[in-house]
Amino acid sequence: MSNKISRRTFLKRTAAAGLTTGVLLATKKSGYAQTNHAKEEKLVGSIIDLTKCDGCVHKDTPACVLACKEKNKARFPQPEKPLKNYWPQKKHEDWSEEQDRIDRLTPYNWTYVENVEVKKNGVKKTVSVPRRCMHCLDAPCQKLCPFGVISKSEHGAVQIDEFFCMGGAKCRSVCPWEIPQRQAGVGLYMHIAPDLAGGGVMYKCDMCADLLEKGKKPACETACPNGAIEFGPYEEIRKKAYARAEEVGGYVYGDKENSGTLTFYVSDVSFKDINEAILEKKKAENDTRPGRPHMEPEVENMLETAHGYMLATLVAPIAGAAAAGITAYKIMKGEKQQEEKVDEQDE
Amino acid sequence: MSKMNKKKDKIYRQPLPNRFVHWGIAISIFMLIITGLGQMPLYGRYLIVQPFGTKWLTSYEITLWVHYIFAAILLFFIFYHIVFHVGRKELQLLPKKGDVKGSFLVIKAMLLRQEEPPSEKYLPEQRLTYAYFVFSIGLVVVTGVIKVIKNMMGLQPTNGILLWGAQLHNLATVLIIVGIFLHLAAFIVKANRQLLPGMFTGYVDEKYVKERHSLWYKELKNKDEM
Repeated sequence: MSNKISRRTFLKRTAAAGLTTGVLLATKKSGYAQTNHAKEEKLVGSIIDLTKCDGCVHKDTPACVLACKEKNKARFPQPEKPLKNYWPQKKHEDWSEEQDRIDRLTPYNWTYVENVEVKKNGVKKTVSVPRRCMHCLDAPCQKLCPFGVISKSEHGAVQIDEFFCMGGAKCRSVCPWEIPQRQAGVGLYMHIAPDLAGGGVMYKCDMCADLLEKGKKPACETACPNGAIEFGPYEEIRKKAYARAEEVGGYVYGDKENSGTLTFYVSDVSFKDINEAILEKKKAENDTRPGRPHMEPEVENMLETAHGYMLATLVAPIAGAAAAGITAYKIMKGEKQQEEKVDEQDE
Repeated sequence: MSKMNKKKDKIYRQPLPNRFVHWGIAISIFMLIITGLGQMPLYGRYLIVQPFGTKWLTSYEITLWVHYIFAAILLFFIFYHIVFHVGRKELQLLPKKGDVKGSFLVIKAMLLRQEEPPSEKYLPEQRLTYAYFVFSIGLVVVTGVIKVIKNMMGLQPTNGILLWGAQLHNLATVLIIVGIFLHLAAFIVKANRQLLPGMFTGYVDEKYVKERHSLWYKELKNKDEM
């Protein structure tokens, strides 16, 4: 290979290679991504006012739960039986024999009401907490799905594609509340390698995205007899939630949690107390199955801690290019000097 | 032989920067595959017996951070490789016209134990393999960078970007794994094993170069005589 490249040519060439790749990387960022702020005016938020919710104590099933079940029953899984274990494990997740359960989140129940006893000013009271997907602003389930089959509607509703979900349940693992629930024996994996890979389909609330699209209200809001659930423009709802919290001398849950969600719980009892009550109740009932989320205040988003690593990944090309430039230049300089030395000896 | 890096009956085939890049990329890709598979729901399900020291592989969080670290290392080596060789105008590994036919002839000669057609520093199939890796690693890097950016807080990529970013990243990973198997399988052929010391010490046997890379050998000779 010819070593007779001038310093100027060499620097020009390396700079051009570095610049091209740098531009390539930089445009990647601006080209495809939008900040949440840019879309904020279309986002739909919701308030779940725990000071108004009574858990429909006089009914067999809370109205919101019933409305959700009615609205989504056509989408509930119909697994092929007998169900196979997740080889080589000796287990599988099956809720098909418990389709009527309303005391937790299941593939057949996308919202439920957790009733807990808490003390306020020394007085015991029951708090009813309707639970469902929070529809996060930076949803780890969506961003980390290994197949990219979780989408967001223009209103911010996080939706799992039931036809392409493989049921690996990663979305549940990375969700701080472990909201999506799995049913085996359904979905794409049944057509690929049902004995070896895949686990079913994950199910959860999709904020009645189809109704929102038509300008209608989600089923749970329409059904609630107490007006405890309200959907509306995100920023408006957010302000309303804080105003209501101030009014009742209470708290908001969902604004800071998991780096922000579209759901705002308002309560006159602290969420720390509600969370403790939930955990204690589960412990007392020895309930370890999924589908009864905690309510830990300011729970962290898994992606929040990644910024340093991300930065390193994006800076690495520049470091590599610089190291190469220096090495190549030093080698070429050394080769040139050695050649000159040999030439002098030959003469 | 060359006036620089002389050694008796040996030819200096892989200078230090080449070996540095080769092993840097090999190690980072190995770790990226290991941790990348950890981002799929695999280890928790299939590792019935958890070998000592592998518990971390079942954590989506830890494997993601380690994946980022090795992605940064891979990017460092890739950009080092590009800038170094473009800067030095060393482009012998790029495929040439007729490489598909040339590869066929070399492999045919190898299998039938006939004399191979004269080759340059790299055999035609090595240039094609390089192109294959450039494509598959290039695809994994582009989709990987998109995946890194989409994970940033406050950025909401489109559904299409998330879907195709993930699908193409997975596809590129499969292509790379297939490529690595083919790359290693090449050493089943005895003649190719002569190349192995080159990636460790930098040197290969002069006799081997003379027989198999005669065009490069001539080029080196001519340079020496200049």
